[in-house]
Amino acid sequence: MDQKVYWICVGALALLGAFVEQSYFLHILILCFIWCIVVSGWDLVMGYAGLFNFAQLVFFAVGAYGSAMISIGLGVTPIVAMVLSAVLVGGVGLLIGLPCLRLRGEYVALFTFAVHLALPTLIRQGRPVGTGGSTGLMGIPPVELGGFTLRSIDKLPWYYLTLAMAALCVYLVYYVILRRKWGRAFVALRDSAAFAKSLGVNDYYYKLVVFTVSAIITGFAGALYAHYVGVVTPKILGNEFFLMVMVMLSVGGLGRFPGALLGAFLITIGNEFLRETGQYRLLLLGLAVVATILFLPKGLVQLRERFGTPRRRPMA
Amino acid sequence: MLQLIEVFISGLVQGAVYCVFALGLSLVYGTARVLNFAHGSIYMMGAYLAWVLSAGYFGLGYGLVFLVLLPLLFVIGLGLERVVIRPLRWGARWQTTTMMATLGLAFVIDNVHLIVFGPGEKLLPRFVEGSVSLSGIVLSHHDVLIFVLAIATVVALELFLHGSRTGQAMRAVAQDMQGASMVGIEVNRIFGLAFGLSVVLAGVAGVLLAPVYLISPLGGWTPFLKGFVIVVFGGLGSTRGVLYAAFILGVIEAFVIFSLGASWIMPIWLVTLLVVLMLRPQGLLGVWAN
Repeated sequence: MDQKVYWICVGALALLGAFVEQSYFLHILILCFIWCIVVSGWDLVMGYAGLFNFAQLVFFAVGAYGSAMISIGLGVTPIVAMVLSAVLVGGVGLLIGLPCLRLRGEYVALFTFAVHLALPTLIRQGRPVGTGGSTGLMGIPPVELGGFTLRSIDKLPWYYLTLAMAALCVYLVYYVILRRKWGRAFVALRDSAAFAKSLGVNDYYYKLVVFTVSAIITGFAGALYAHYVGVVTPKILGNEFFLMVMVMLSVGGLGRFPGALLGAFLITIGNEFLRETGQYRLLLLGLAVVATILFLPKGLVQLRERFGTPRRRPMA
Repeated sequence: MLQLIEVFISGLVQGAVYCVFALGLSLVYGTARVLNFAHGSIYMMGAYLAWVLSAGYFGLGYGLVFLVLLPLLFVIGLGLERVVIRPLRWGARWQTTTMMATLGLAFVIDNVHLIVFGPGEKLLPRFVEGSVSLSGIVLSHHDVLIFVLAIATVVALELFLHGSRTGQAMRAVAQDMQGASMVGIEVNRIFGLAFGLSVVLAGVAGVLLAPVYLISPLGGWTPFLKGFVIVVFGGLGSTRGVLYAAFILGVIEAFVIFSLGASWIMPIWLVTLLVVLMLRPQGLLGVWAN
């Protein structure tokens, strides 16, 4: 997608905010923007760098918990807390990335998923450190920006804040990181690791970079989420969120900008419609993962390839 | 001292069941190179099916339960391989897509369990009551039976893999897929068979452990993780390695529960995984294949 088109889309969304009056719709769009950040970070790792990192929601949770704990425990203003927690998440990303350097694809998936499965236990055990145990943390202070306090009920300010942040993060991932040397190195290592290494691409360095960068981006989304919703619980690491992001990625298509972002919008909105189906919702999401992988392994973008005019493959 | 011996024995019993579970994972990964993220959910499916057949609805005895359950699980495994795995094989980036598909499948199975059986836990009664005392060490009949059943399953699998022609074909595919298909082995059939067997093994492990750990929709993730640590520790594709690893880790787990408490189990397993991956990524007896 051309940069101009991208900014036009962002502008259109900004205009849209002014016309939407129901706060429920604003709320859904705010969630869409937050998920866009998460998905772009995951797409960077899994789609473009080809690393099977299933610990992405760990970064999200650490970002959310980190920012909440710093702002509650140390009494720091939320903006500073968010920045501090982003740094913290970057460190966590580096730590999780280190063991993965020596591992082959499936082992990376396994190890990172193990971290994902182990974290809720740690959070529940971590009450003495201030994680709030299984009830989670409540009363996370709202973001204060230049004298304004953004409470959860102030949908419109939150709409513009999350839109701006999402636009920035997505721009960073897809237009800055992936179009420069870093992105080319990620893709080269994914497509042909041996060849890339023989050309002098340092795979350890770039893998650590991609882990750290995507961790920071995802952790930032987590921090935004925590201050927006005001509550964080270990449920962040439950099946629901994991499943949702998986569906977004598989529906949108890995490594096919803007597929994953479309997936984020489609699934967040679709998920709200599915709420009527009650307990069948998660089942349907799971079926959606399996079905899209079986029938549209490249995601919705494939529909266009199949039925529309043949187009040049997007940068991959 | 007696207490320590009892802890050791309970570790061995756990280890035997873990071994059954982990061999299923190893079988599919070894032959079909598919990392099956639904293995834990299938384990729970086995337990739920056994519950439906016995305590839940039909009231069958355990002998009959196994008689019905084993073929049923095998057919389910064949079906899952046919529907979910085979269409993806040889497609673009199939290792990635099969991993995502099995993860999706795991969520589907979990949520079917949640919808059908509700979030509450189900309890499978013990297979037999009573216990024996050997010079002060108390062994429950149930534990002895579980141990015997688990070991019998492992031995049966070994005999099948080494004795029968199909089993040999399976090992041939595990060693060299192309070579195997060149000498006339139907690779796809072997994949299906391996998946079917692996579902049977997971289900059996689920039934064996259900009287101890309760049956719940999300209860399969812990065994899944443990199974993978065992497979990695033992070395991929090495049955003996899996056997050793399962017993070593089962005993370690029993002592961790005894001395530190149950909440430390998962962190300890995670640390074990990390240490193994760092020090000996090919596992105890595995050969590092690329």
